[in-house]
Amino acid sequence: MNASTSTAEFNTRASSVQSGNTILLRLPNGDPKAVKIDKDCNVSLGRLGSFYANELINEPFGRTYDIIDKKLTLIPPRSLAEVEDTDATNEYINDGQFVQPLTLEEIQALKQSGAHASEIIKMQIEQHANYSLKTEYSKEKYKKRKEAKYSKSFTTIEPTLFNVCEYWFKKDQTRIRDIRVDTLSQILNMANIRPGGRYLAVDDASGLLVSGILERMGGSGRLITIGNSDSPPAYPVMVNMNFTAETVAPLSSLNWATADQSHTPLVPPVDVAPDQIKSERQKSRLNKRKAATDLLFSIREELFAGEFDALVVASEYEPFSIVEKLVPYLAGSASIVVQSPYGQILSELHSKLRALPGYLCPSVTEVWLRRYQVLPGRTHPTMNTSGTGGFILHAIKIYDDENANAITSFRRQKPTATSSSSSSGKIIIASDTLDASMEDADE
Amino acid sequence: MWSTAREIAAGDTVIIWLTRELVQPLVVTPGKDFNSKFGNYRHSDFVGMPYGSKVGSRTGKGFIHVLRPTPELWTLALPHRTQILYIADISLIISYLDIRRGSRVIEAGTGSGSFSHSVARSIGSSGHLWSYEFHEARAKKAKEEFAQHGMSDIVTLTHQNVCKDGFNLTDTVDSVFLDLPAPWDAVEHAKQALRKDRTTRICCFSPCMEQVLRTVSALNDAGFSDITMYETLVRPQDVSPIPVLQSINDVADKLKKAEGIREIKRLRQIAAGQRHNSNNNNDPHGEKRKRTSSDGEQEVPLVADGEDSGNGKRLKTDDEDMMDDVLEDSAAPAATPAKISLSKTIPEVRGHTSYLTFATLLPSMPIPPAAPTAAQGASPSQGF
Repeated sequence: MNASTSTAEFNTRASSVQSGNTILLRLPNGDPKAVKIDKDCNVSLGRLGSFYANELINEPFGRTYDIIDKKLTLIPPRSLAEVEDTDATNEYINDGQFVQPLTLEEIQALKQSGAHASEIIKMQIEQHANYSLKTEYSKEKYKKRKEAKYSKSFTTIEPTLFNVCEYWFKKDQTRIRDIRVDTLSQILNMANIRPGGRYLAVDDASGLLVSGILERMGGSGRLITIGNSDSPPAYPVMVNMNFTAETVAPLSSLNWATADQSHTPLVPPVDVAPDQIKSERQKSRLNKRKAATDLLFSIREELFAGEFDALVVASEYEPFSIVEKLVPYLAGSASIVVQSPYGQILSELHSKLRALPGYLCPSVTEVWLRRYQVLPGRTHPTMNTSGTGGFILHAIKIYDDENANAITSFRRQKPTATSSSSSSGKIIIASDTLDASMEDADE
Repeated sequence: MWSTAREIAAGDTVIIWLTRELVQPLVVTPGKDFNSKFGNYRHSDFVGMPYGSKVGSRTGKGFIHVLRPTPELWTLALPHRTQILYIADISLIISYLDIRRGSRVIEAGTGSGSFSHSVARSIGSSGHLWSYEFHEARAKKAKEEFAQHGMSDIVTLTHQNVCKDGFNLTDTVDSVFLDLPAPWDAVEHAKQALRKDRTTRICCFSPCMEQVLRTVSALNDAGFSDITMYETLVRPQDVSPIPVLQSINDVADKLKKAEGIREIKRLRQIAAGQRHNSNNNNDPHGEKRKRTSSDGEQEVPLVADGEDSGNGKRLKTDDEDMMDDVLEDSAAPAATPAKISLSKTIPEVRGHTSYLTFATLLPSMPIPPAAPTAAQGASPSQGF
């Protein structure tokens, strides 16, 4: 029984490869490589050779292909081999011995003759002096290493947020401020990013946050980012997401000057008397300028009108100055999420926010992630792992009530008939609370 | 799901934040009261307040915060019927399974609905969640909650044992989440329910490694690929401002001063003792000499406090002035030290929730067109 499909199925990106996409390919050695797919062009993969881009267009993601004569042949997925335990050990295997009799020239000749990787590997195994001594696990590892070296196949990687974040994290994690997949996921959940939501973001992490927010908004809602340059911000991570135009439409950007309510941006003049206009070109230029200026001012007004659902920050700048500036534009109960590679930065921020009345329960957390290899007989955490995914601070904006007292505040005892007539009639019972006040308890 | 209006209205579900550990839901029902150890409140007082308000108690002592529900706050506030998922696992699963606007998702079992609310938030009105719970009472309770939170259109809750009876779906969903004691029994059913025209994903949530190994086997046998597993945890930081750390050189100085003071006091006591003796006895040296012990060591005479101590009864010598200065210096309170904010992970952290086993189901291989044979004659090949 199939459920009825909903009316308009919105997708932030196409579910198959499209011309104009920049997609990730996984190479035989496991490394991902970004390539541009343009209709009627070639895609070059260095040692692996090149192929016609059209071969991939409209292909669903996740498939593996062999490159043969610039065309692609689909390879069926392989399952995990059950590797049996034998009595083999490395007792008699000596390192340093010459074990591979196929010379470099012989291997080159095989490659040039067009022999498939599997044939080259088969010959290597046959000639290998110690191969039969190896454990089955060791043999599997050997074969896998050789495949990585000689095979001419690749797999397309779907540009999900997880995959793109993982790609960038491996490529250069400092450019994304150590925001690992678990960090990004938690940030998006903590900030309640959802379709139709309205958000403010400060993203100095190459656009990773912006990509995550736009992905989860699904083309519905609003995102205003504030940055440090007067030209539109470059968000290189977005290139790998291959978003549709509708997905990006909710995004607008300001900078720290144009986002300043007390500052009026200086813009070139747009009102020129009609008799002063000299040419159509000038007229069109003036119209463009007017449109840009109108847009800028309307984005400002939108920011200043406030009531945004969350503020998300991953910035090189001092975070309290950012939070202080933007929190007036947040709705009550909105989340404030600040990420930093450094715990110390967030400790400082935490101490400042804790002392102020408008922030509920600021808390700092560190994220921890461990990946396991799960292969039959070979299940264990991966040997290489990430050391850090950064830290996250979360707080909730609240509307303070100055008249509200803590439960442990100074208590007032009602004056009794026998008490001496002190001027205020108050008997003070000391407490250890910080925000105790001496105000009258009755309203 | 919940209200998006600025102000609280009658009938809204709100989240009452008492403390970090005490977070609870409340349905605003004018006429009812909310009483807690943080004060007394009338529901009607909340109506018209903006979400996010700090509210003082009617008694004048105590306050609470009234917040807008989110799936994250719901996870902290919800009444537990089962062990629930928390933000670290929920958020990683949603990311890995690529759950977003319009996604179609299967979840089994529903449990207390913690994960369900996160999924509903992310898929929006154009997505759909099929959730299955084999325990009748829990299924009923979850259904009520989904209805109360405006989720009935996007969540279909079925009371069913999915390991025995499957999901009743074919080629429909983008992702499957299994939080079951024996997920390997549901893997084939999951495969049937997943779409075959594009890459789809599955996650199996199991606390024990033995379950993981069996699940991996089942996934492999069913034809899933890229099988991997993650653990994720959160390490909350304890932040406190502490005085800037003191150098041992300062400590050494203090100890040396203390030594000096002890010595001064000792000499003072001797001087006082000597004066005492000279007052009582015209021979200033006699008693002292007699008291010298055989090995030449001078005994310090015991002098009662206040007696002949440097008081206003006689003028101080220069030496005694200096001694007094040193004593005063050491007695003066140190200036308030500067503070720095330091953090460390809290002493007790959650060490394990479950292992997250992920796998991918690749789109089916395209069926090669059948070559027409002579026996088939001129009729066109049939569709598959």
